[in-house]
Amino acid sequence: MSGAILDAIGGAPPVATDDVVVATDVEKSFGRLEVLKKVSLTVTRREVVVVIGPSGSGKTTFIRCINHLEKIQAGRILVNGHLIGYREVDGKLVEDREQNIARQRQDIGMVFQRFNLFPHMTALDNIREAPIRVRKVSEKEATETARTLLERVGLGHKADVYPGQLSGGQQQRVAIARALAMKPALMLFDEPTSALDPEMIGEVLEVMKELAREGMTMIVVSHEMGFAREVADRVVMMDDGQIIEAGTPEHFFRNPTHERTRSFLSKIL
Amino acid sequence: MHWPILATTAQPQFDLAVFLAFLFQPNGAFLGAVALTLYVAIISQTIGSFLGVLSALAGLSRNRLLRSISSVYVWFFRGTPLLVQLVLVYFGTPYLLGIDLFPANEDIGFISLRGAVLAGIVAFSLNEGAYMSEIVRAGIQSVDTGQAEAAKSLGMTYRLTMTRIVLPQALRVIVPPLGNEFNNMLKTTSLLTIIAVQEMLRVAQAQASATFKYFEIYFGLALYYLLLTTIWTLIQGRIERRLGVSDARTRDDKGFLARLTGLRNPAGAGGLR
Repeated sequence: MSGAILDAIGGAPPVATDDVVVATDVEKSFGRLEVLKKVSLTVTRREVVVVIGPSGSGKTTFIRCINHLEKIQAGRILVNGHLIGYREVDGKLVEDREQNIARQRQDIGMVFQRFNLFPHMTALDNIREAPIRVRKVSEKEATETARTLLERVGLGHKADVYPGQLSGGQQQRVAIARALAMKPALMLFDEPTSALDPEMIGEVLEVMKELAREGMTMIVVSHEMGFAREVADRVVMMDDGQIIEAGTPEHFFRNPTHERTRSFLSKIL
Repeated sequence: MHWPILATTAQPQFDLAVFLAFLFQPNGAFLGAVALTLYVAIISQTIGSFLGVLSALAGLSRNRLLRSISSVYVWFFRGTPLLVQLVLVYFGTPYLLGIDLFPANEDIGFISLRGAVLAGIVAFSLNEGAYMSEIVRAGIQSVDTGQAEAAKSLGMTYRLTMTRIVLPQALRVIVPPLGNEFNNMLKTTSLLTIIAVQEMLRVAQAQASATFKYFEIYFGLALYYLLLTTIWTLIQGRIERRLGVSDARTRDDKGFLARLTGLRNPAGAGGLR
């Protein structure tokens, strides 16, 4: 890795408010199954929040709600001061128009467990596609930014390669670069290392740590406690659709209060 | 249509000269008919594919009305014979619309068309759209949902997500059956005979009944259709190979002969995945 990653996009993108994410009493259910039960979380500028919890605890669903990949049944989610996915009409939430939702998502980068790179495009095209088509950046500028981003995540030599020819760790680094190219105010990571072979986890975490140090606001669903210890400002433990405990990484390593947290940590550490 | 009545029990003699002349010295009328066949097939397949994409998107939409329209459309056009649809379109529009959409000669801008040809294009396109709808739907559904999610997470609208991300990937699943559809379409144009369009079958028929050399001419006609579909098979192979470029796993190594005859080796039986 060479040089600051965020320099490639002109430094940490500006945010409109100090509270980048404000989620209040978010409720979500799949049919009868309640997945989120009044989840509230505020993430401030430059903060790195790591969300942990057993599978089925709702942590992935929660961050997917933050960019409206999932609908919510109640509560509010504001990102950068904007209500996400909904308009408020007479105190009720009405799903927003598709174009408005798309506009809101421009400020929220997302990295997926399974990378989800576009297999029919080269690494470079994956990164510059959305800036050109969505942000209407000139092709020249978008290409320059994309190349610089690729270099900064250590893949400058892979610009013209298709995702199928890249290793998992390389694909995930391209995916991070792709999300960053939109200059998002917030980055969401949904178990970004869970689908990786062990020897590739480090290279992806390195990029994420660098982003955290450079001041990117991030919510990371991950069980990488080493990562949490090094860069997280706050760790949030979810269980059964609720946040049951939140605190500094130190708090979680020294003396977690909740019994459920203790037994969970003893299994993953 | 006049069928020859074999008056004698004597074995008819194959007239090689007539056969070869039909094959290698086709007259202007027949060459025109070949051109018309190609013309109708290409236009109908293009419009039909476009209708198929629209119908597939409607069928996959969250809007219940759009979904119903799509399923009624597919239900009707797949559930009735194309020949009947062709006759309904050609003779039915005056009843339905009060005007004859397909008069003997029709001017659309600078193109002049026989009304019957236009009726054929309309019927074939509508019918093809219904089949393409199912093919496109299967193609779209074959694309991992994570692709659309990634596109959306980058701020892409539904339109961009479809045109830039989902449909290009669906294409690899759509193109092989689309090729089969066009192969069918080349032959289906022969149905136009029934509404008196001068396509290949009709022109050949006229020559056959004028000379009584039915077998020679129909045999030559069959070879002409075979020539068209064979050329198409070659083109289709090239298109499919090009589409396989970005993903080594799905490269389809079917040889020309296998693709021509439809025979596949068991390992390749899954086709494109």
